[in-house]
Amino acid sequence: MTATLQRPQPGRFAPRRPVLSRSAPNRPLLGSLGIIGLLALWEIAPRLGAVPERYFPPVSEVLTTLAQRATTAPFWEAIGHTLYGWALGLAIALAAAILIGFALGATPRLRAFTTSTVDFLRPIPSVALIPLAVLMYGTDIRSTLLLVVYACFWLIYIQVLYGVADVDPVAEQTARSYGLGRLARIRYVVWPTTLPYLMTGLRLAAAVGLILSITAQLIIGSPGIGAQITNAQQGGAVALVYAWIVATGILGVVINIGVRALERRVLRWHTSVRGEVAV
Amino acid sequence: MTATKTTLGVLAAGAALTLTATACGSGDTAASEDGLTPVSVGVLPITAVAPLYLGVEQGFFSERGLDVTIETGGGGATTVPRVVSGELDFAFGNLASLIIAREQGLPLTVVANGMTTTGDADTDYSALVVPADSDVTDPADLDGATVAIDNLNNIGDTSVRNSVRVAGGDPTDLDFIELAFPDMPGALDNGQVDAAWVVEPFLTVALQQGATQIAGNFVDLHPELSIATYFTSDELIAQDPDTVDAFTEAMNESLAYAEDNPEETTQILTAYTEIDPDLFDQLRWPRFPARIDTEAVQTLAELMAADGIIDADPDLETLIR
Repeated sequence: MTATLQRPQPGRFAPRRPVLSRSAPNRPLLGSLGIIGLLALWEIAPRLGAVPERYFPPVSEVLTTLAQRATTAPFWEAIGHTLYGWALGLAIALAAAILIGFALGATPRLRAFTTSTVDFLRPIPSVALIPLAVLMYGTDIRSTLLLVVYACFWLIYIQVLYGVADVDPVAEQTARSYGLGRLARIRYVVWPTTLPYLMTGLRLAAAVGLILSITAQLIIGSPGIGAQITNAQQGGAVALVYAWIVATGILGVVINIGVRALERRVLRWHTSVRGEVAV
Repeated sequence: MTATKTTLGVLAAGAALTLTATACGSGDTAASEDGLTPVSVGVLPITAVAPLYLGVEQGFFSERGLDVTIETGGGGATTVPRVVSGELDFAFGNLASLIIAREQGLPLTVVANGMTTTGDADTDYSALVVPADSDVTDPADLDGATVAIDNLNNIGDTSVRNSVRVAGGDPTDLDFIELAFPDMPGALDNGQVDAAWVVEPFLTVALQQGATQIAGNFVDLHPELSIATYFTSDELIAQDPDTVDAFTEAMNESLAYAEDNPEETTQILTAYTEIDPDLFDQLRWPRFPARIDTEAVQTLAELMAADGIIDADPDLETLIR
């Protein structure tokens, strides 16, 4: 396993924690100060008339509306719809990206054969598929899934390809000479190399998936937070529109914290998480 | 060889995985367990569709064997293709959009009225308004002005041009810009537009902020104008005329009920909109007659033809069932 230590740090695309964040013990404090500052600005600006209060209510009003809504069942139903579309879409994208990524990554010829196709499909924005989704599935959850899976798949898939390509040839040869079979090499050599890349892809996809889950609901009207935002807009309930937007933001933070925790757990053996190993 | 085989297998599995989520078609018209025929109706969550909600609540549809699912997603841009593809059975859309759709050869037919202008500019639920500090007092003064409408080449620009013409002005230099109705009161307030065509509840919001009404654009067009209607695909009419008949009858009864019970019509808004209850008393309503005035439809089509939105002499014979 010495070979593993000598190769360049895997995960060029994996999160590299800045030194500051590791040594600064006050990170949560700084984070909350930032939020408090933002909230104070949001409270003051409409009250001073810097922005019209009618169209941008102060944060206290928005949070009150949010708190009231949070006690009702439809609120949690909408959150549930959004999370369901997000989680299912992300899971499908993850499974497909791992399967196809490992298969194609391990077969250089096949990979070369598909590269141009992937480069062609990858930049197509998911929202451009909305007319297609509407025609095929209407306002169904499948419309949401189509957008989420399409966007998330490429993010994870490309990372998996990078990861599989980053396998150290020496380690690979060593494993071969020790008589490890194909599956064992994937398990003990390719998988650990790819995992940090995979987690980066997953973290990016988790955020993008939430955005697209809500976008689909906003534009197509599939049930969830996005549809609630449209409904509030159509009714001229401005504070409620912002309450839903704040709820979306909170959801995003929660998801990010969750994925980071998962990442730390899954990669606890890895230098980028262990930290104490100088590379 | 094995490598390629595995790869192909994995590829197939991946493709299957993505496809399972997309399989299972739509548009099944099999009767539900209680013997009712399920029908879906696409609407926007706006005041004008209150009769539909009221009719469903009153049981006018289930009495006729229909199990209605109301889908509040997107506007005409998404409902028209969804009805054409058979993914939605019925939808609510403005008449101008349907005239355009037919002109383009889309097989859509109107099966019931949606809402009709009150014929009185002071009470109509749609109006042309200017900001509080505007010098414009008459549509004729709008020459060269920027006017917000929700959709270009549709009932908005056609009716606003008509109002300017009726007032003796010249509509050729009007500069129309597209804004969503919810954004219009704000745009008027900070002077982004010189005038706006607004409908409820944003008309009330704009008026409360000091905006001035200078015309009732729908009333000017025709005092009996049906603004929006319920429509379906010609395919459904051919396949299942009984269901379409049942829908038309139930919808007509719902419209009549809404006209007779304004109190209940207002109250049903709480079930599907987020309109501030404080606004309820001031909201202006359209009328809900079951009849569609064909002369008004003809007037609208002629104006659209004059504006070049559709070809001259549209065929309106088959538009309404």
